[in-house]
Amino acid sequence: MTNFVIRRLIQSFILLFFISMLIYVILNIVPGGPFDLLKTSNPRITQSHIDRLNALLDLDKPLFPGQYCPKVGGEQQPCRFDQGRYFRWLGKVIRGDWGRSWTMQTGTPVMTMIWSRLGYTVLLMGLSTFLAILLAVPIGIYSAVKQYSIMDYLATALAFFGQSMPTFWTGLMAMSIFAVALGWFPTGGVRESGAPGDIIEALSHIFSFGRTHPELAGKVWPTILDGLRHVALPALVLTYFNMAAWVRYTRSSMLEVLRQDYMRTARSKGLRERVVIFKHGLRNALIPLITYLALTLPSLFAGAILTETIFSWPGMGRMQIDAISNVDWPVVQGLFVITALLVVLSNLLADILYAVVDPRIQYS
Amino acid sequence: MSATTTTVEALKLEPIATEKPIGQWGLAWRRLRRHGLAMIGLTLLIVIALISLSAELIAPYPFEEIDLTHSYAALFSPGNPGRPMHLLGTDKLGRDVASRLLYAGRISLAVALTVTILTILVGTVIGAVSGAFGGWLDMVLMRFTDLMLTLPTLPLLLVLSSSLRQFAQLQRLLGSNLSVIIIIFVLVLFGWMYEARLVRGSVLSLRGQDFIAASRALGAGESRIIFQHLVPNSLAPIIVAATLGFGGVIISESALSFLGFGVMPPVPTWGNMLNDARGAPLEYLFTQTLSPGFCIFITVLAINFLGDGLRDALDPRLKM
Repeated sequence: MTNFVIRRLIQSFILLFFISMLIYVILNIVPGGPFDLLKTSNPRITQSHIDRLNALLDLDKPLFPGQYCPKVGGEQQPCRFDQGRYFRWLGKVIRGDWGRSWTMQTGTPVMTMIWSRLGYTVLLMGLSTFLAILLAVPIGIYSAVKQYSIMDYLATALAFFGQSMPTFWTGLMAMSIFAVALGWFPTGGVRESGAPGDIIEALSHIFSFGRTHPELAGKVWPTILDGLRHVALPALVLTYFNMAAWVRYTRSSMLEVLRQDYMRTARSKGLRERVVIFKHGLRNALIPLITYLALTLPSLFAGAILTETIFSWPGMGRMQIDAISNVDWPVVQGLFVITALLVVLSNLLADILYAVVDPRIQYS
Repeated sequence: MSATTTTVEALKLEPIATEKPIGQWGLAWRRLRRHGLAMIGLTLLIVIALISLSAELIAPYPFEEIDLTHSYAALFSPGNPGRPMHLLGTDKLGRDVASRLLYAGRISLAVALTVTILTILVGTVIGAVSGAFGGWLDMVLMRFTDLMLTLPTLPLLLVLSSSLRQFAQLQRLLGSNLSVIIIIFVLVLFGWMYEARLVRGSVLSLRGQDFIAASRALGAGESRIIFQHLVPNSLAPIIVAATLGFGGVIISESALSFLGFGVMPPVPTWGNMLNDARGAPLEYLFTQTLSPGFCIFITVLAINFLGDGLRDALDPRLKM
């Protein structure tokens, strides 16, 4: 087992190296740079200005180790060897310096920007994943145990519908019904305008025992309630979408288990049906679900691009869209590499968990 | 003596099998026909495809006809005198929503069909080569597949489709179809991995079987073995994956168009119609959102029904 983990870790790091290279290369060979907008909006800016700005950001240097022949003021300088932008960037990333934003918040370190968004995404995704599991697992179990009952058909229909409805449609529909027509929830954002703070700041106030956001003292609970009202609609939309997959997985996993010989053995021992289903059936049916949970972990941090966009939720998903639209490649690189890192690690985690909870699985 | 008078006809042998034999595909079709949801899905899909294909004939308005005096008309509102009713209302520019939906369906279905076919081709070739040759080639191809699977797909699609549009040469070459071609290209680029793994897996499991050895003993070359024996025998899971993938492509295309990175107006798709709806004043949000989203929903639902039935029909072991 230890050997397996070590080997997989090494493989994962090699994989990540190539992923980061691919991401860096894709972002750097596509046309368009951070100063495109500047050039089109201001006719007095000439190509030599742009060249100088590019040199400031190292954008004139080669991608990979090679000759670098700078031009200063139109004059050719002697060529010298350059380690290349990719390796320079990678070296900094390993040391914890993820670069600075070009256009969104010029000069702000990428990590600071990501940290400021992370809480919102974890809140939204955590809440919706938790609710989805809480609702879907019992439905899936019931639907498998009572296969071909009316409830089973209802659950299957719910799963089919949920999988076929894109979140950008359910989101807009939910907004037009529950926010516009009924007025139960706000249409988007994290807080009422004029509120002293938002739910993440309030939570941070609580967990730091009042050291952060002192302006929220005494107003914590109204702020949290206001935040919950704002997160409700996007969370419900994502819950419904995630539920569909969870119901299907739980149902098929449980159906698989119900067919096993040990279930018949348990029944023939004279155990009550409840014990057979929950102790012998459910515990085995949960094994593949643990793996599935591990595989959904990256999305907890990467966020939901479409839902966050519709509800103007300031999470990581929105940030990706904004960064891409603004050609803010340092931010995009940071987000992509972190996402890839999480995917690779959660795959590894899924494999390990699988072996831990199921003694029949052995890696050599 | 009368017992011996037998006619020639009576001497004819009774045929043993009354029907012509049904092969693997005939059996699968039989199983599929008994699958209620799959047949509903298939019927819906055929209807949707036929309606979209005949958009010119049945659409009451041309999709780009603008009528600024009738923007955001309600459902079932009458058109100008002498013109047909706006069955599903109009959008911001007063364009007839029902007509746009028909044309949009054609684009969405065509994009999804093209992407699915290309995805299968690319995936099958990579998977078959990888599985059949093995060795370092297999290693390299499969590690590359892993790598592609780890990349964040939707954001990279956004980056590529927004950047590729800026290539001036492409723009000159393809004109207004540019955004459609780009979206097909990026969706195929990020879509072949699952099919490749599937084909490789089934090629690996088939490779050791006797009929392959027999074929090789008869002098069949490597490419003949791959494309005449290995690929046809792994068709069933590919068909299932392709069907379910088709629905996925429709959703991806609409998502990209919805975010403004996919098919660009004036070419209508269900996704960019939803993007327009998002910009509508809130009181019109419901009517503007309802119909394009419903089209995506019903198409994908029909495909999922069909795909589920195909999975049961083609490979009962895969049943979920």
